[in-house]
Amino acid sequence: MNDELAISKLIPIIAPFLVIQLILMVIAITLCIKAEATRGPKPMWILIIIFVNIVGPVAFLIAGRRNER
Amino acid sequence: MSKGGKKGGTSRYGALLGKEMLELARSMKLVWVPLVFVALGIMQPVSIYYMPLILEHGGNLPEGTVIEMPMPLPSEVMSGTLSQFGVIGILVLVLVYMGVVSGERSSGTASLILVKPVSIMAYLGSKLTAMLLLALLSLLCGYLAAWYYTDLLIGKFAFGEFLGSFLLYGLWLAFAMAATLLFSTILRSSAGAAACVLVLLALLSIAANLAPHFAGWLPGALNSYAAQAANSTIEYTDVFVWVIVCTVLLIAGAYALSCTLLRNSATID
Repeated sequence: MNDELAISKLIPIIAPFLVIQLILMVIAITLCIKAEATRGPKPMWILIIIFVNIVGPVAFLIAGRRNER
Repeated sequence: MSKGGKKGGTSRYGALLGKEMLELARSMKLVWVPLVFVALGIMQPVSIYYMPLILEHGGNLPEGTVIEMPMPLPSEVMSGTLSQFGVIGILVLVLVYMGVVSGERSSGTASLILVKPVSIMAYLGSKLTAMLLLALLSLLCGYLAAWYYTDLLIGKFAFGEFLGSFLLYGLWLAFAMAATLLFSTILRSSAGAAACVLVLLALLSIAANLAPHFAGWLPGALNSYAAQAANSTIEYTDVFVWVIVCTVLLIAGAYALSCTLLRNSATID
């Protein structure tokens, strides 16, 4: 975080997590937009999905929808 | 609601299982649950490998602090991964499936399905199979990811140990899924079912650790057996066989009990 060396070292650490976060985010946002009823307002969920890493999409996928079909 | 004879049970089971798998694919659970396990599996070896770097740059250490940290053995990393799965992984799986029966009963789907000539055994059996498939697939993906990263960053981990610990841990997950099915049938509230299952699993694994003489033959011991299999310190004693037999019997018992309970209760809320 203070020099470029650290950032180049940190990239291999976070790259796999970024990919997973991205896939989870896309799935969660798609399902959120498609969902008929969510627990709480949809824009709130979309913000949570985008800005909370990994846990945000998972929280939506587990608890976000009122009925799953 | 004891409709449906034994005849044609297998074909109905196949159709119901197909419906369950379609549901898994459509709700994207087939993708995102394994992905969560992959994230967990990567986290353990990566965070251990980069721990000195993370401490150096993230911690508020004074200048010039030298951190000497021995690199752990690959087997320790892999058994650490299993304990990660045991906390967050099981939590996710149980929360995903907490409403497997109670949710369908309250939404009326269960009564819609069970008015057709479908046996309750086939109905619950298809659900249990889908649960086990998802749990084992997730565990396999996550554990393979952990194996890959451990091999890359820390050191070799043998296939035999991988397979042994995977199978033992898979049995523990299968037990967790059967318990979820049972509690979801007993209780109307899916949150209550999830809480009961999580407390039961925690109690079983704590009991197996604290009092191995009394609870060593219960499924809770599978946790430590899986870790031992990863460390290749496992001893195939009589107790080990008992744990396996007992877990399989308990899974079958949970399935049979949920069938009986569902048969004897109204499917329409």
